[in-house]
Amino acid sequence: MAFLEIDGLRKRFGQVEILKGIDVELDKGGFLVLVGPSGCGKSTLLNTIAGLETITSGEIRVEGRTINDLHPSKRDIAMVFQSYALYPNMTVAGNISFGMEMRGVPAAERQKAIDKVAKVLQIGHLLQRKPSQLSGGQRQRVAMGRALVRDPKLFLFDEPLSNLDAKLRVDMRIEIKRLHATTGTTIVYVTHDQIEAMTLATKIAVMRDGEVQQFGTPAEIYNNPTNLFVADFMGSPAMNLIPATIGTNGNALSVVLQREAREPISLPMANAPAGLSAFQGKPIIFGVRPEALTDPEGAERNASNIATADCFIEVVEPAGSDTFAVTNLGGKGVVARLRADANIQPGTNTSLAFNLTKAVFFDPATENRIL
Amino acid sequence: MSAVATPVRQTAGGVNVKTINRIVIYGLLALFALFYLMPLFVMLVTSFKTMEEIQNGNMLALPQAPTFEPWIKAWSEVCSGLTCVGMKGYFWNSIKMVVPAVIISTLLGALNGYVLTKWRFRGATLVFGLMLFACFIPFQSVLLPMATILGSLGRFGVKLQNATGFTFGFGNPTVNLVFVHVVYGIGFTTLFFRNYYEAFPNELVKAAQIDGASFFQIFRRIMLPNSLPIIVVTVIYQFTNIWNDFLFASAYAGSGDVMPMTVALNNVVNTSTGVVEYNVNMAAAMIAALPTLLVYVLAGRYFVRGLMAGAVKG
Repeated sequence: MAFLEIDGLRKRFGQVEILKGIDVELDKGGFLVLVGPSGCGKSTLLNTIAGLETITSGEIRVEGRTINDLHPSKRDIAMVFQSYALYPNMTVAGNISFGMEMRGVPAAERQKAIDKVAKVLQIGHLLQRKPSQLSGGQRQRVAMGRALVRDPKLFLFDEPLSNLDAKLRVDMRIEIKRLHATTGTTIVYVTHDQIEAMTLATKIAVMRDGEVQQFGTPAEIYNNPTNLFVADFMGSPAMNLIPATIGTNGNALSVVLQREAREPISLPMANAPAGLSAFQGKPIIFGVRPEALTDPEGAERNASNIATADCFIEVVEPAGSDTFAVTNLGGKGVVARLRADANIQPGTNTSLAFNLTKAVFFDPATENRIL
Repeated sequence: MSAVATPVRQTAGGVNVKTINRIVIYGLLALFALFYLMPLFVMLVTSFKTMEEIQNGNMLALPQAPTFEPWIKAWSEVCSGLTCVGMKGYFWNSIKMVVPAVIISTLLGALNGYVLTKWRFRGATLVFGLMLFACFIPFQSVLLPMATILGSLGRFGVKLQNATGFTFGFGNPTVNLVFVHVVYGIGFTTLFFRNYYEAFPNELVKAAQIDGASFFQIFRRIMLPNSLPIIVVTVIYQFTNIWNDFLFASAYAGSGDVMPMTVALNNVVNTSTGVVEYNVNMAAAMIAALPTLLVYVLAGRYFVRGLMAGAVKG
């Protein structure tokens, strides 16, 4: 039995179904990230866990106890909001201890708890200030302090980093990860930023239009996306999704990529997924991540299935740590990720290595993965 | 504007059109300000003059020998009808009516605004629309129905007195006026607070709910402490309206010891005992106007800010 279990959860506003049967579970001490584009229902899902929104049907359980109908304050949860939602009229200390005050915790005990949290988050010197006198990062800390002080069973984060600037966001991301590692709390975290999802999560639920598209570990989501949407959404730069056809090369299958004004590329598949043979001569979507498309010298040594092909390089983008090269295959711009010092010139033909063990295939009609 | 002004400046041959515009605008503003302040000035100087000086002198002239006599007389001796005890009793009548009416109507408006924005229920918009409608009902159309209601309340008070020996305020003219002004004011106060709370972040309420605060705890600890600008607007608006009200006051408490200030002032000015004491009348009028002035001076800073906060979201 998992720590947090969500079973067939549905939420309807009038005629519109916002959540269409969500099934997710999380073990104690896990870090679940709900990720998806805006309007996918991820914040609504979080609010239903918090009890701030009612649900139409389904069940939410924490440690086997159904909490559907409990008041938010009775669910033993704490929530960090996108806007921090600090009470502007109270000091930092007042903000942190408000919940305890409401539950009738004696003043001395409150003070002890405040001091403890202030130490963890290093906000001791801010306790007597009002939220308006704090910087964005400090407000973020106080908001987390308010959640931490409750010592709840479950932490809920609603896009907590989206109001911070890029550098601070990375710092706070690390801080949240450290906090999770040291306190061992169970966290449900909403974000639209797939990098946050990848770096923080132990489990990711990729959502679209009120449905979970895929639920799994970050590695599963990244390496084995179940459909085109997940493949496209996760990863930066995004996975190359190239229209292709399946041909035969002797006994083996091959992937045929069309090129402008040149003969097509044919990549022989050594161990093609079983389902692919049904697509012989038919169009498919060939998915390859930029790091699986590189210069032959930089290609993974022990990958079992590497095919090289001559490609016309249109644009080269040196990014410091890597060099990105853009070529055109199947009528689409395709990004290859090369070593930083790779000798490559735009406007020339260069041999690129396709790591086909990492390649994935999708049925263009259903958008599902071909296995 | 500048795109238009630049070619004009060139044809005027060096004359700074902008400066002339400024002079015209500020000149007009000063003129209207003067026009507006003139009555106040006349009232003020007249109230410090002796009758002799008023009869012989210029209306606009400053008092030759300033005296507080008219103010003292207006406060404690002037005749309203047949009773000559000054304005002080009526002044307190007004205070006793205004303070509870303002507090109650402001609190109810805040509560309504809180419910209408943070605890939306089916038909909330309709309810708000109907409450808004209360702002458009003319005073006059309320007079007779309200008189009937106050009459029944008065009879209920008599019954209570017979039964328990105490009326609990039912039938008391001051209580009646408080009731009337609260009922009439709720539409406006609700409008003010609803617009203010519409822009008030919902996440604060959600955070407080998770913190375990109840409906009224959220109202008292989160909403009210962050509503100062709109509270000031509402208090100024309600205070001015209720203090200055003459129609309800004269209709429901128009005689005897219970008259509010406005009715009493009218009676003072209309009481003829030979010579019309302009200085005393002016002093009485000033006393009647002072509390609203005072409220503006003390809280006016927030007035415009609060009006804007309600109107402009974010």
